[in-house]
Amino acid sequence: MTLTESPVAESEAAADADGAAAPASPAETLGAPRGLAQPFMTNDAAQVGRLFVVTSLLLGLGAAVIGALLSLGRTDAVAPDDLFGGLNSYFRMWTLYRVSFVLLVVMPLLLGLALAVVPAQVGAGNVAFPRAALASFWSWLIGAVIMIASVLAGGGWGALDGVTGNESDAMALTLLGTGMVIVALLLGAIVVATTVISLRQTGMSLLDVPPFSWSMLVTAVVWLFSLPVAIANIVVIYADLRGRQAVAFGRPESPDIWLQLDWLVEQPAVYAMAVPVLGIVFSAVGKAVDARSSRPEAILIVVGLFGLLAMGGWSQDYFTAPQDLRDGLVYVAFGLAAVVPVVATAGGVGELVMRGSKTRDRLLSTPMLGAGAALKLLGAAALVGALRVIEPLDLLETSATWSVFHGVVAAGLIAGVAALATWSQLLLGPIQQRLAVGAIVLLGAGGGLLVLADLISGFIADDPDLMALALDGNAALNGVVLIGSLLVAAGLAAALLGAVSALRQRATAVSEPA
Amino acid sequence: MFTTGFKFFFGLFGAFTAAALVYGYTTGGNHVGPISLGWKGGVGDHIGYGVLVGLAFVSLIVSLVLVSFRDADASAQARLQNLAEVLTDQPVAASFWPVVAAFGLGAAAVGLVLHPMVFVLGLALIFLSLIEWTMDAWSDRATGDRAINRELRNRIMAPIEIPVVGTLGVAVVVLAASRILLNVSKLEAVWVAGVVSALILGGAWLYASRPGLGRRLVRILGPVAALLLVVGGVLAAVAGEREFVHHEVEHHSDDTHEESGEPAVTEEGH
Repeated sequence: MTLTESPVAESEAAADADGAAAPASPAETLGAPRGLAQPFMTNDAAQVGRLFVVTSLLLGLGAAVIGALLSLGRTDAVAPDDLFGGLNSYFRMWTLYRVSFVLLVVMPLLLGLALAVVPAQVGAGNVAFPRAALASFWSWLIGAVIMIASVLAGGGWGALDGVTGNESDAMALTLLGTGMVIVALLLGAIVVATTVISLRQTGMSLLDVPPFSWSMLVTAVVWLFSLPVAIANIVVIYADLRGRQAVAFGRPESPDIWLQLDWLVEQPAVYAMAVPVLGIVFSAVGKAVDARSSRPEAILIVVGLFGLLAMGGWSQDYFTAPQDLRDGLVYVAFGLAAVVPVVATAGGVGELVMRGSKTRDRLLSTPMLGAGAALKLLGAAALVGALRVIEPLDLLETSATWSVFHGVVAAGLIAGVAALATWSQLLLGPIQQRLAVGAIVLLGAGGGLLVLADLISGFIADDPDLMALALDGNAALNGVVLIGSLLVAAGLAAALLGAVSALRQRATAVSEPA
Repeated sequence: MFTTGFKFFFGLFGAFTAAALVYGYTTGGNHVGPISLGWKGGVGDHIGYGVLVGLAFVSLIVSLVLVSFRDADASAQARLQNLAEVLTDQPVAASFWPVVAAFGLGAAAVGLVLHPMVFVLGLALIFLSLIEWTMDAWSDRATGDRAINRELRNRIMAPIEIPVVGTLGVAVVVLAASRILLNVSKLEAVWVAGVVSALILGGAWLYASRPGLGRRLVRILGPVAALLLVVGGVLAAVAGEREFVHHEVEHHSDDTHEESGEPAVTEEGH
């Protein structure tokens, strides 16, 4: 049985037909809550997925604005002290920007897509635990609110000038909010993984699972093996912070809290949010050119390999001397090998295009553009990641770290927009092509500039260390970073606008049935 | 008869019990100590023995729960109830308990830092959600009929929910109303109590005389009144009680306090 022959693919295609009304899932037809009660009580995982997508895009816009302000602080136009009221506040926003893009934007965006798309792809009426999916969203949202509010109240992940009494409480709240967000994401990942494993339609083996569903299964496994390590970190930090003297790893006069958690936003762990990008790329391109791979098992292996290389819990270097871990063979091998699955994906995409219909409309369709841009940025991030672990280049602990980060984040966001266009009827509704293309172009250009500028900054930095990376450096490159950040913010605004307008159209279609 | 889940966990219970006995006797247990949980004799290494006995106990409980609910297996329950058909893959009913659990988790997190009462409230919400969620999950798949499922669930939970909700409701009303009455002046308190009593009487009369209209009104006005009461109670509690002036009863002797016992308490109107 090939993927093209599966009834699921046919039903999905039917659901995505232009102008077709959104299919009602069994959960929607049986006693589903309506109106204001819907977000609080829904038993339909697709609804929960929509909540995740729209909220994460909204938070993404906020994070991108913070990013633009941080970039402005890197230029000569405004001093960071004036911009945020002190270097410590600048550091707080600097960490919030990074953590937000991982835990509040890209991961939940892709999880939301999975909650809506995966059940349809594997032939299930709903996810395995719809109530757990709802709990996942609300726990994530409440955790996010606690996290952001506490950072704005003087918390965050450490302080450069020492932790005072009030800051200690706010930081404890930040840590608890972060932990809550991670637990919520893990819960959602378990829901998706269980759906793929247990609710596949009869006759569909794991080898027959569509690429996106497979990539989400791999992602869930990677998160389950990585994120609990972050929770353990948080418990240790919390015990230190509350003055119990239980562990005493952190020093209050330094940003030690951040240094215990920064592995989450660095390679290889940062790739964990990019695993679904590969699945979206394969699915979107296959759908765009109406072709299926001749070797679907190769796709599964490629995605699985990337997932394996994204396992990052082991890579935290706080408890060991950095040179012991990051100059080690495993770290270098992981960094170099991450390029392989991305290149293999490019090869697989090429094969799909060769086998498929190569009309102009198909090749320039929104999903195709999005898949191409996402893959290029992910490839660039993986390449920088490979350069970063080559010792003679001396790029470790430089802004090349953030080059990888920005590449992965931008790839995840673009893949999200491509997915919204590919499975429009399953997700929000028909998204306006101009907004989707605009978002992809802006995110692609912005992400590309950020990757390039941070890489070059990494090469020319003299004395790189944490915050110094962001505040020193070449003036021209800092200007490029500012432009890149503004483009990313504009791209996220376009994506959010497209998502909201699609939702409005969907609501109109539901309220006025034919 | 015995379900698969029961067999598995009961087997675990047996294995852990045997392991506890062996461990107890091989680490210094004597007489019938390991058999009697240390009542008559020693159990050997307390920690290892305690862990194994604990695991055995948990396995036994889980096995009994599973056999009681037929492993939450719809087809097994259908056989037990002689139902002709059963839907095994039916959608779950809408529920607000996941959101309550999420808010409980948030409250526990915030309370851990800010105030123990908030933490306890969060834990209580989580505990309540877990019980309700578990019962909902079981009843969703109890039979193929949603109405029967709802009835089954209510048969077990209603005897617990109604008294608990009623008690909590009365407690909230008494607490909130008392805060309001203690906050306003003596005269205003009389007015508030009178007006509220009249409203309750009027509402009850309307409900009894015109049931259709009454139900709709109760659905709309009930939550609004409850919200007003709770908000009023909270605001009054924050504002504090009105000032009570302690007037000492005049006595002929100089040592009034000692001889008069408790002083008379009056209040000064606002």
